[in-house]
Amino acid sequence: MDGWNTFFFFFFTALRAAVLIQKWYRQYVARTEMRRRYTWHIFQSIEYSGEQAQIKLYNFLGYLMDNFTPSSNERNLISHIFRDHEVCQDAEWERYFCYKNIQVPEIYSGPHLCFPVTAEQAAGLVEAFRNKKQLHSRYVLQLLLETWRLLRMLPNISRISTCHSKEITICGDLHGQLEDLLLIFYKNGMPSLEKPYVFNGDFVDRGKDSIEILIILFAFLLVYPTEVHLNRGNHEDHIINLRYGFTKEVLTKYKMHGKRILKLLQKIFSWLPLATVIDQKVLILHGGISDTTDLGLLVKVDRHNYVSALRPPKKKFQSSSRTSIDSNAEDWGHHGLFQRRASFTCPKNLGSRGNFLNRSLQDFSDRIKVGKEDELQVCQQGAELFQAGVDPVEKGGDSSFDPVVSDSAKEEWKQILDLLWSDPMSQDGCIPNELRGGGCYWGPDVTEDFLGRHNLQLIIRSHECKQDGYEFCHNRKVLTLFSASNYYDVGSNRGAYVKLGPNLVPYVVQYQASSMTRELTVRQSVGKTERSALKVLREQLFSHKSDLICAFKRLDGENTGLVSLNDWASAVESVMRLGLPWRMLRSQLATGKAADGLINYHEWFNELAIKGANADHIDQGLLETLYRHRSTVETIFRIVDTDNSGFITMEDFRQTWKLLSVYLKMEITEDAISDLAVTIDSNQDGSIDIEEFMEAFRLTDKKSRLERGRSMFMATATDLSALEGDPNV
Amino acid sequence: MAPKKDVKAPVKKAEPAAAPAKKAEPAAAPAPAPAAAPAAKAVDLSAVKIEFSADQIEDYKEAFGLFDRVGDNKVAYNQIADIMRALGQNPTNKDVSKMLGNPSAEDMANKRVVFEGFLPMLQTIINSPNKAGFEDYVEGLRVFDKEGNGTVMGAELRIVLSTLGEKMNETEIDALMAGQEDENGCINYEAFVKHIMSV
Repeated sequence: MDGWNTFFFFFFTALRAAVLIQKWYRQYVARTEMRRRYTWHIFQSIEYSGEQAQIKLYNFLGYLMDNFTPSSNERNLISHIFRDHEVCQDAEWERYFCYKNIQVPEIYSGPHLCFPVTAEQAAGLVEAFRNKKQLHSRYVLQLLLETWRLLRMLPNISRISTCHSKEITICGDLHGQLEDLLLIFYKNGMPSLEKPYVFNGDFVDRGKDSIEILIILFAFLLVYPTEVHLNRGNHEDHIINLRYGFTKEVLTKYKMHGKRILKLLQKIFSWLPLATVIDQKVLILHGGISDTTDLGLLVKVDRHNYVSALRPPKKKFQSSSRTSIDSNAEDWGHHGLFQRRASFTCPKNLGSRGNFLNRSLQDFSDRIKVGKEDELQVCQQGAELFQAGVDPVEKGGDSSFDPVVSDSAKEEWKQILDLLWSDPMSQDGCIPNELRGGGCYWGPDVTEDFLGRHNLQLIIRSHECKQDGYEFCHNRKVLTLFSASNYYDVGSNRGAYVKLGPNLVPYVVQYQASSMTRELTVRQSVGKTERSALKVLREQLFSHKSDLICAFKRLDGENTGLVSLNDWASAVESVMRLGLPWRMLRSQLATGKAADGLINYHEWFNELAIKGANADHIDQGLLETLYRHRSTVETIFRIVDTDNSGFITMEDFRQTWKLLSVYLKMEITEDAISDLAVTIDSNQDGSIDIEEFMEAFRLTDKKSRLERGRSMFMATATDLSALEGDPNV
Repeated sequence: MAPKKDVKAPVKKAEPAAAPAKKAEPAAAPAPAPAAAPAAKAVDLSAVKIEFSADQIEDYKEAFGLFDRVGDNKVAYNQIADIMRALGQNPTNKDVSKMLGNPSAEDMANKRVVFEGFLPMLQTIINSPNKAGFEDYVEGLRVFDKEGNGTVMGAELRIVLSTLGEKMNETEIDALMAGQEDENGCINYEAFVKHIMSV
């Protein structure tokens, strides 16, 4: 070949090679992106349906409260979470906060606080927590008292400005992930006179250092009250905390005073401001808006009436009689002063919103049967009234009181709920947020209208995890900001914070905590997160075994034990309702070889998961229900555990099961309950350890056990498929 | 080596005329070959016969749904290439662009297509015989194996990938080559290809 031909030949082969590799690479990126998306979808749907479940549970309990006869035991068990504190005088609260009797022992090696808090002390706290120290409960209580005193003076909507060329730093959800807060402080500096901060809610739950984050934020708030601003999030709510881990964290870390700390925090959460406005142009709030959001109205509400955003406020009383903070639940019903509160009911004129909020309660009226005296009773009148969409009235209550929360109070409540729970959507309009169970979905037209009406230019909100830590939408008029990196799993997402200068152009800074993730390639971190998501998904599938088998059988007319892929996917979706791409996931979830593309569904369950150790003697149907509703079961236990000791008595245990059996619509005999109780109360002392109880129902994921085995053998074995059938792995 | 290549190369070049632009065509200049697609008309999608099974269509529908970020059951033109790749195809961006009739950048961003419109597009791409197997990749890389010892210089590969064909940027190249180069900056290309095909 002559020189030119050689050259051309070489060139074109090189070109071809390049194109080949480029095409391959882009395909790889696209497939990885798709895996990432459905992994994300898995985590998010499960997270949101958990929130929905919590709200449903709360509604259910509210319904019981509204419709039980006063003497019922079950009602007493749960009434305390609805007990309102607002009637108590502030002096009572100050006494309750009393930390003076708490001694700090000599051997205490954690940080000390001297009030008023100084910047050095606040920085000291950050350092101490970085070194895994814990703040003594005496200081915690003292700090909370000071915080409460300050928060009471703040308006509902903080107004700040970027004058003096100050850049304001805004952070989104932290969710107890201390590492992220430390990373933000490291990159951006700690709050100071020159460095104002806004923290946009959801400081607690899910992560393991929620209380430490609160302590740091409150400390800086006290040091720099005009530079540090906190907005309330939907997780600053004791009802949500019961399920999502904050309550448990505090009780574990503060065994003696945890209960008191939690009670104080309930109050403090209710005093957190609702929103922040910068330069009258940028609105910062946790969830979002709806088509009825009105800042003028929000400025005037008594925000502290909303201890939990999930309940409308109690009407204020004229009566001078006070109740002490630790009043007994029985007084609740007998005092004519207390009125029933409506749970999620709304007057009909709210249209479809009202129906939506009513719906979850309507579901329960068919579950509660009128029975013997000692069983759950339903107030017939309440039930009838309820059917008509009218709020239940207290039986025998004083009719001269307003029987229901007033319309304006309900309107207020809706405003706050929307603020804390709403999510943006891409279509125009405003519809109820059924996925979460609270707030609404709002569209770009609502944003335009809202910004126009209030003369604003940008909304910064949080509430939703985003892969890059942030996301613009609605024509860049809405910015979602999320500051908890690796939220779903290591490597799942980055966190971000925003800096806003006088030009009000948001400048986003991203980060990702955990040194491990930096060394993982994209492929590895997607792979890791994907495995986690699939593990969670397998557990969910396993806990719906009966329903799934039912669905399969319906499609398997001839009872062959096999279904087509299509049928499998539609059956699974009809039961799980997660909106996931099941066909795509099938290869990961149902790895058994399918004959002619058919799936043997009985075998499928065998490969999904295996049960925990000591659960074999318990009835299968019951077991499955418990797996599925693990979270709810645990939440109810914690509610019933009124002194937050981690133990409940046998008697309460029995009562709880009655409650659960109604809520979960499962038949459970007295014998079954006794069997359960006896099994769990291993030391026979008449009380049940909640942790121990939940432990008995821990699912073991078969696949992840295999993978653990795999990683152990990684360095040596070449053929790992031999491990698959090994029961000892 | 040269004779062997000679034999193989023409086979690869013998693609039916209907197929999207072939990179191996002897274009006049080393520049990317826009000359090969002058004022191209879109492939007539309505004439494409769909040959997918019902099961396959369900699979594709799922993937399509995953990429719909707006909720209108459509995807944008500029997402089509990615969806196809996610479904195991290997079109170049140019292949897709040609098939769509070389739309403007604005059209790529704003025009959207429903699933039924997407199917013939996918079929077209699947029909075009541009399949590459293990050997093809290895052969392609062997070109750079100066010493014939089974390795190529990472640096050289980087230059090629960033200057030829549908150029990759630095980040993409870094991601691709992560962990592949040894301490001398060399890559064992057979292992490399095995690695990239194992995804």
